[in-house]
Amino acid sequence: MSVDQIPNAGLLEYEAVMVGDKPTVTSRTWYHWLLLTAVILFAAVSVGFVGTIFWSSFPTWAHHGFTLLTGKGWVSPDGPFGGLAMITGTLETSLIALVIAVIIGLGTAISIVFFIPRRFRTVVATLVELLAAIPSVVYGLWGLLVIAPWMEVTVNPWLNSWPFAKGIFGSPGQEFGTSLLLASVVLGIMILPTFVAISREVIAVVPQDLMEASLSLGATRWQMIRQVVLPTAKIGLLGATFLALARATGETVAVALVAGSVANAQFHLLYPGTSIAAWIATEFGESQGKEISALMALGVLLMLVNVCLALISRALVNRQRRILAKV
Amino acid sequence: MSDLIELEELPVEAEHSMREEIRRVSERMRGRRVATSRVMVALCGVALVVAAVPLVALLYQLFDKGLSQIDWSFFTHLPETPTIIAPNATGGVSNAIVGTIALTIYASIVAIPVGVLVGVYLAETESKLATSLRVVSQTMAGAPSILMGLFAFSFLVHDLNIGFSSIAGSFALAVLMLPVIIISTEIAVRNVPNSLREAGLALGAKSHKVSLKVVLPSSITGIVTGCILAISRAVGETAPVLLVIGGGFTNSWQPFDPVSAMPLAIFENAKSEYPSQRAQVWGIALVLVIFVFLLSLTARIWASRKQQVRN
Repeated sequence: MSVDQIPNAGLLEYEAVMVGDKPTVTSRTWYHWLLLTAVILFAAVSVGFVGTIFWSSFPTWAHHGFTLLTGKGWVSPDGPFGGLAMITGTLETSLIALVIAVIIGLGTAISIVFFIPRRFRTVVATLVELLAAIPSVVYGLWGLLVIAPWMEVTVNPWLNSWPFAKGIFGSPGQEFGTSLLLASVVLGIMILPTFVAISREVIAVVPQDLMEASLSLGATRWQMIRQVVLPTAKIGLLGATFLALARATGETVAVALVAGSVANAQFHLLYPGTSIAAWIATEFGESQGKEISALMALGVLLMLVNVCLALISRALVNRQRRILAKV
Repeated sequence: MSDLIELEELPVEAEHSMREEIRRVSERMRGRRVATSRVMVALCGVALVVAAVPLVALLYQLFDKGLSQIDWSFFTHLPETPTIIAPNATGGVSNAIVGTIALTIYASIVAIPVGVLVGVYLAETESKLATSLRVVSQTMAGAPSILMGLFAFSFLVHDLNIGFSSIAGSFALAVLMLPVIIISTEIAVRNVPNSLREAGLALGAKSHKVSLKVVLPSSITGIVTGCILAISRAVGETAPVLLVIGGGFTNSWQPFDPVSAMPLAIFENAKSEYPSQRAQVWGIALVLVIFVFLLSLTARIWASRKQQVRN
C-alpha cells in the first residue's frame, strides 16, 4: 500500500489549531524541534547528495563540454573522456534486459495470480520477494563464473550459426564469454523478481466484479485476462516496466562483472562492453583529478536518467490508483 | 421485424436445420476460444518455469559450491594472497565479515533514528516541505546505489579529506538506508487509526505525548520491519562501499580505518586468476545470501505478527 492512499492524521497540527489559528511558540515542544532537526538533516543530505555530485562534475562540463556525450575514446588520466560507449552500452543492455523481463515476468505474474493454487500463492510470492533481495553482486558472480563459460562454449557458436549473425553479434572468434548479451541476460534475470513482485500486486487489485462479469458473459479465462484484466491494469504495468528499467540502468556491479569492461562504442552483442554505472565502478579505483570529475559527470547523467524514469513510473502508478478508485 | 415474422413462419424442418447450423458454428467458435485460452494459459505456465529455472539454478549452485568452502577458519582467519608456490593459500574472510558488520552498525546508528523521526514528521504534518521531502525520499529510494558512493567520496574522502575508511562507507550506506526507513515509517504511522490519536488528545495529553506513547508503540512493528529491510539492503550493496572503504586487510572496528566488506570481497576476488580464490568467493556469497535471507524473513515474520495483532 502506498502512502498517498492513507489520509494524513495531522496530529502535530491539532495543538496549533486548538491554541489558535496560527501555531504559537508555546505549542512547539522539544519533540517538534527534534523532528524538525531530523527533517533539516535529511533535507541537507538530499541537497548535498545532488549538489556535491553536480559540483564535482563541473570541471568536466566546463572544459570538455558535451564531448562526454558524443566522444568515443576514454583516455586516462588526462582525457579526452568520451562517454558514447557507456551510453550505448547502458541502452543496449537495459533495453534487452527489459524485453526479457517483461515478457517472462508478465506471464509469471499472471500465473501466480490466476493459475497457481491458493495454498501455494503466498509461498511463491514470498519466494519471488526473497529472490529480489539477493545482492546484485551474487548475480554478477554467477554470471561470470557459471554462465560466461557456458556462453563461450555452447551458446556463442550456436548464435553465430544464425543468418545475419555477423551483423548482430559480431565476427566469430573475436568475442568473449563476457559480453553485452551476457550482461543483458543477467540484468534481465535480476530485474525479473522486481517486475514480477510489482506487476503481481497491480494485477491482484483488479476488481473481482469486473472479472466475474466477464466470465459470466461466457468469456474463457484467457479472454477475461486479455480483455478485462490487462486493460484495467495497463497503466500500472507500464509503471512497473519503467521501475524495472530504472533498476536496470542503475545496476552497477553485476554489469561490471559480466559485461567485460571495455569502452568500445559498438552494437555487436557478443563483444565486450560496459555501462555508465559499471564504468564508474571499474575505473574509479585507478583514477585521479580530471578523470574523477569525468566519472562524476557520468554519475550526473545516470542521476538525471534515473530521476526521469522514477518520476514517470510514480506518475503512472498514481494514475492507475485513481483509475481503480473510479471503477 | 419482417425477418422475425419470416423466421416464425418457417417450416419446422427448416427451423430445425437453422438451429443446428447456429449450434454448430457457436460450438466451433467456442472450441477455438477454449483452445486459444488453453494455449495462452500454457504459455503463462511456461513463462513461470522459464523464470524459475535460472533462479533455482543460481540458488542450487550457490549452496553446492559455497558449502564446501565454509569451515571454522573461513570465519576466523585473515585472507592470504595465493602465490605460485602456494596457489591454494586463501585464508579466511574475517576482515570482510567484521567490515560488513561494522559498516552496517555505524550506518544503522545514524540512519534509523533520523529516518524514523523524518517518517513521523512526514506522516503527522501536512506542509509543502513534507510533500516535497516525500517525493525526494521516494526518488532517492530508487536511485542507483553507486551514486551514494560518489556522494560519500566527493564529500567525505575528497572535500573533508578523511580518507578511505569505514566511516565513509557507512555514510554512503546510511544515505542508502534513509529513504527506505522514512517511507516505511510514514506508512506505518499513517496506518494507526485516527481514533487512537483522538482518544489520547481527548484525555488531555499533549500532541508529543500522544505521538510518543500512543502512535509510535502501535506502529512499532511496521517501523521495525522497514528498518530490517533497509539493513538487509545495505548489507548486500557493493557499489556504494566499493568507492570509499579502501579494502583493508585487517579486522578493524575503528571508524577511520580502511575496511573490507563481504560484497566487496566477492567483487574483487571473482576475477582472481587463482581457482582457489574464485572458489572461495562462493563461500562468501553463500554467507551473504543466508544473512540477507534471514533478515528478510525476520522482517516478514514481524510484518505478519502485526497483522495477527490487528485481527
